[in-house]
Amino acid sequence: MYLENISLKNFRNYSVQTVSFHPDINILFGSNAQGKTNLLEAIYYLCTSRSFRTNNDQELIKKGSNFFFIKGSFRRNESNYLVETGYQYPQGVKIKLNSKEIKRSAFIHQIPVVIFCPEDILLLKEGPALRRRFLNLEGSRLNPLYYTNFKDYFRALQQRNRLLKEHRHGILDPALLEPWDQELVKLGAAIIRMRIAMLKDLEQQSFIFFNLLTGALESLSIMYQSSIDYQDHLEHLEDSFRLQLKKNLALDQKRGYTSVGPHLDDFSVAINGLDARKFASQGQQRTAVLALKMGELALFKQAGGAEPIVLLDDVFSEFDQRRQQHLFTYLSERDGQSFITTAVKIKHFETGPKKRFNIFTVCKGKIDAGSRLDY
Amino acid sequence: MIFPQPLQALVESLCRFPGIGPKTAQRMAFFLLGLSREEVVGIARAMVEAKDKLRFCSSCGCLTEEEPCRYCSDQSRIQNVLCVVQEPRDVFVLERTGQYRGLYHVLHGALSPLDGIGPEELRLPLLFKRISRQGITEVIIATNPNVEGDATAAYLARMIKPMGVKVTRIAFGLPVGGDLEYADDLTLSRALEGRREM
Repeated sequence: MYLENISLKNFRNYSVQTVSFHPDINILFGSNAQGKTNLLEAIYYLCTSRSFRTNNDQELIKKGSNFFFIKGSFRRNESNYLVETGYQYPQGVKIKLNSKEIKRSAFIHQIPVVIFCPEDILLLKEGPALRRRFLNLEGSRLNPLYYTNFKDYFRALQQRNRLLKEHRHGILDPALLEPWDQELVKLGAAIIRMRIAMLKDLEQQSFIFFNLLTGALESLSIMYQSSIDYQDHLEHLEDSFRLQLKKNLALDQKRGYTSVGPHLDDFSVAINGLDARKFASQGQQRTAVLALKMGELALFKQAGGAEPIVLLDDVFSEFDQRRQQHLFTYLSERDGQSFITTAVKIKHFETGPKKRFNIFTVCKGKIDAGSRLDY
Repeated sequence: MIFPQPLQALVESLCRFPGIGPKTAQRMAFFLLGLSREEVVGIARAMVEAKDKLRFCSSCGCLTEEEPCRYCSDQSRIQNVLCVVQEPRDVFVLERTGQYRGLYHVLHGALSPLDGIGPEELRLPLLFKRISRQGITEVIIATNPNVEGDATAAYLARMIKPMGVKVTRIAFGLPVGGDLEYADDLTLSRALEGRREM
């Protein structure tokens, strides 16, 4: 699946703009604050009907206007998909697929796209909440069953926590708690097993990419870290979970909160056996996160999806020459389409295989499909 | 919208029905106004009569005109099997199959601490009394297959088993007469869980 062209009206700093893209690599070159990321945002919005920067569509409207409109045509094999999305204040969003209006909720995941931006490094740097969000998002995307289990698990967890809170200062009849524990254990164990299986696949795929980027000098491993201590015996997961719920009950009751379960789990990434969060350099962390994202791409494709569109926002400048070159080779050899923004000239673009990319100059809300020489 | 006050009141009343929004409520209101007086009185009477004449059976909790209800008083039904359901309407659904000939017990809800529903809010003491007094040998639990329904089933099983009664849960699985490929993932996975030996 690739984006053939896009037309923007009143989107961020663009008034009226139409551009045609290359099916392989598109490089958006320009100084800071000219509209490079805005263009990526428009592409992302066209694919998902959501922005990756904000949940408030109103922010996307160009100052002084009350609507924006994005139109683009995608091609997959012999089929064409014309997507039109418009937002008007205060009426809201309208999405059309091949001129037929469809609901926003029905549109999610229609066009696969992956964005990688500098903030993604937080996935490794920050606390576990971001990583759990990553697990839940990817889990749901790859397996619809994950989503139902996850939803039900949270429902059961809320029920249990309410029960704990209500009996904070009294005696809680074990018979009342038992049914919810049973639900938590059943659903929670299923979630953990799915996460572990997914991370195993992700590790395999990310490792390939990581090797490619670093030139096989470093190794990458991903470990699931459960709040449930099952002593590396996954077959005892249910029993261990049940036991630890019981063990923590007195404390949980005092706090009105369940202190063990997949809602508190985490995963760690290690480079050469060392925890990347603590011991890796900024550059290594960035490479590792990019490897995770690219691994995610591979998993998505394995699951039978179309080759996603990759958006890389200001990523190249963060890498050394060797990694830049490996990344560029990888992108030009993969089947899908990529968009890369950069504020600095990158050597490999000039020496790379010429047929496989286009360079665009972005300046003050205007996109120029200029010649290679301008760059 | 500016409606005369009686019309406004009617629309607001109709809005209280489940699944009825302001637009549909307006359509219904104008439909009623287009009917003759007798027809409107007929509809109003049907509502009031249903409300006045129907009650919950003091034994099983299903909707009934007589006391006890026809399921509880029908001696030809199997007297030692009891099916536990969440809502009165579930009884009619199960009856429609014509397959079940035992007794019923309606809980009027499922355990849900978030909604303030505990065992005291359900018709549980009566259920335990019926089991021990009426010589019940099997309890079939037919609560909904969701988190609350499953938790309620687990709670019931835990309370009833020590009474020396067989406790079963209705099976979940594939719709009959359909192709495997049309089943959704969740239904299919629960059907796999509940597979049985042939």
